[in-house]
Amino acid sequence: MFEESIIESPAQPAYRRPVGITKGPGEATHEFTFVSRDDQQVLKNGEYVYYELADPETVALNNTTGPIPIRRVLGRVIKRVPVQLYPDTFLGEPEIPPAQVAAMVGYNSRTNELFELHVAIMGYYDATTGSFINPWIPPQSGKQIYLADDAMLAQILSRKQHMDPGSATIGSLLTRTPNAVPIVLSVKDLVSTHMAIIASTGAGKSYLASVVIEELMKAQNKACVLIVDPHGEYGTLDQIANYPQFSEDGDGTGRGYRAQVQVYKPDQVKVRISTLNIGDMRQLLPEMTEKQQYLLSRALRKVHETKRSHPWGVADLKQAIKAVSRQKNDEDSEGADDSSTVHALTWRIEQRFEHSFTFDDTQHLDLPEIFRPGQCTVLQLNEIDERDQQVVVATLLRRLNQARMDTERGKVHSGESYLPYPVFVLLEEAHHFAPGGTEVVSTGILKQVLAEGRKFGIGVGLISQRPGKLDADVLSQCQTQCIMRIVNEIDQKSVAAAIEGVGRDLLDNLPALSKGQVIVAGAAVNTPVICRVRTRYTQHGGESKDAPDLWQQYFNKDTQESRRRSDAPLNGNRGFNLLR
Amino acid sequence: MKIGKIVKSDSHINYVCQIFGPREADIQPGPADYAFGRFVRIAVRSERADDPDALLDEALGQSREPVTYAVGVIYDTILQNPAFGALGPRLSNETQVELFSPDYISEKAVLTYIMVLGMMEERAVFGSEPEVLSVMHGVPLLSLELDSEIETMTDEEVRAFHFFSDPAGGPDSQSPYLHMGYIPHIIAQRSSLLPMVTLRIIDQLERLFPQNLSLLSIVKRNFAWRLKVETTG
Repeated sequence: MFEESIIESPAQPAYRRPVGITKGPGEATHEFTFVSRDDQQVLKNGEYVYYELADPETVALNNTTGPIPIRRVLGRVIKRVPVQLYPDTFLGEPEIPPAQVAAMVGYNSRTNELFELHVAIMGYYDATTGSFINPWIPPQSGKQIYLADDAMLAQILSRKQHMDPGSATIGSLLTRTPNAVPIVLSVKDLVSTHMAIIASTGAGKSYLASVVIEELMKAQNKACVLIVDPHGEYGTLDQIANYPQFSEDGDGTGRGYRAQVQVYKPDQVKVRISTLNIGDMRQLLPEMTEKQQYLLSRALRKVHETKRSHPWGVADLKQAIKAVSRQKNDEDSEGADDSSTVHALTWRIEQRFEHSFTFDDTQHLDLPEIFRPGQCTVLQLNEIDERDQQVVVATLLRRLNQARMDTERGKVHSGESYLPYPVFVLLEEAHHFAPGGTEVVSTGILKQVLAEGRKFGIGVGLISQRPGKLDADVLSQCQTQCIMRIVNEIDQKSVAAAIEGVGRDLLDNLPALSKGQVIVAGAAVNTPVICRVRTRYTQHGGESKDAPDLWQQYFNKDTQESRRRSDAPLNGNRGFNLLR
Repeated sequence: MKIGKIVKSDSHINYVCQIFGPREADIQPGPADYAFGRFVRIAVRSERADDPDALLDEALGQSREPVTYAVGVIYDTILQNPAFGALGPRLSNETQVELFSPDYISEKAVLTYIMVLGMMEERAVFGSEPEVLSVMHGVPLLSLELDSEIETMTDEEVRAFHFFSDPAGGPDSQSPYLHMGYIPHIIAQRSSLLPMVTLRIIDQLERLFPQNLSLLSIVKRNFAWRLKVETTG
């Protein structure tokens, strides 16, 4: 950073024009204030400015022989206070601009406003550590303040540069013109330390998530992604395969790259009954009596013992229950009759599993099939009951965690649970799977994956519109946070409590953010930034229905005509119907 | 119309003017001519030409040289009577004095206080209205001389003094607009009558510039509120 400023200091290019002069220290310790006319209105809230400082380390070493490098100490504008405004009485006539009144009484200068800007010092960028170093010294009064130029910000705000391998360009800096300063996430940090996207409905959560997925599927990442999609909003991602952004020509030595998208419809999402544990059973068969639970857990243990790692089905489970109850009766010899319990339990199991399209004796999602680098798998759960969704996610995460652990430890070398690459799982509506205050079947495994996933290469992205309802531990495990517009005060507080990385001054902007504007903070960026999300390549699927438009269509001439025809008495004739 | 001459000054911008008494001028000015808040002007004889032709032209009112005027406003009047309080023995009353001793000069006088608000430069154009060359609001650079004559200003002259375009280089140098650049220095003076005179000035300007009523009302309301409401309340 500093070599550059040595070269350019005598030339003073256009963007090096100072925007203001330092006034003095600010309210808090690491703040300072400066005064500016801001004629061009460039000093927005959240804008980045810098002052120059002789490198403190070199000065401390008393190394006066060579030139002292100049550091650019970056800060963020957090408050804008007017110091010279028109008096209220000048504003009394709506048709007369106050400048005209001022001109009449003899003040006819073009500039009239003067602002005091409060700046939070971030520090100077140290390229070797990729972090900002606070010099612990505010600028002297009278020092010139410069606006940080686009090229400088592009280089230091993001950990990676646009189009680098392992980069994800999700948008551009909000305070600058679109695409002037790209905000690039570091995919390595994003995947290894988890991500959370938090926003109210309609703020653009799933849009941002889709942009992140698009970036992950680009040729520079070729990621292995699974999306758990309880609302069926991500189906439109299957267009990825058609766009040139997601493919790469081969270099002759191997095949080229083309991103794949697999969408699993709700009826294709299967859970093999033998992967369920007693916790899952309790969730699926609520309000079991103590006796039923006891019998079921013993039966499960028995069926696991007999079948080992082979799959088993409902029939095997029922048999095991009978066997266990018989065995128990023999042991007790008191003659306690368990037949009614056995009957009730088997009846409930039959009811729950025999006609379920989610739970199956043999079929389930094949891990190497749904997790494959360069492939994005969308699990649509929109027709599945919420309790079942939790079980689906819990069993899947459990199997994934086991497979990754076994593969990393070298226990398996092929087969169904061999996954020799890290994966990224995106959980939409995360508060369903880890609600705060209560424990559901997926909470435990999710916490485990979040805590240990880093070791085994499982990255999790949580998306939620109700951070207040999300388990606080789960939220604080996500080291990269994308926070969008949140109006609800409880949700704002829970975000502030769970996320330490984002300053209070940035969180104050939460209700003011517009659709598609996001505060990105944490491990994947160098410093918290407010970002404008880029346009998606693929179409957005999470739109709300346009009800008035659909109602209008109902009375459309063509639809009325077709309805009249289909309602006609002849329509009872199926043959006629087929002819049409 | 010439109404008097400068007899004293209190400061660079405050002058005392003695109104012409009987037989001092062709037309004796009446109280309406030196009313409170009246705009007046005083010619500044900055450089008097020695050329006798120019003197003749000036005397004949045919001068083509530009004339600089200081423009001021009457903000106070004092009736001076040295005989007041002299209640001693008297040989004759006032009418008898005038009749029997016509060379006895009366020391009674009307004094008006004038505050200078700016300068304007004019050049007489033969057969038509004089041409305004420049206007400046604020403290004039040159001081006035004793015995300079004071003239009242016509509406047209007052309008010309207030409505002009900024000298070249200003932000809106193209189009003329209403100026009241003297307001800040009126406020800076300490006389208690000056705020009142400002209101009088605004009243006159409202009459002269009906198109700027709302602009003037801002200043007027502000003054009226401070003067009338805040001081009374």
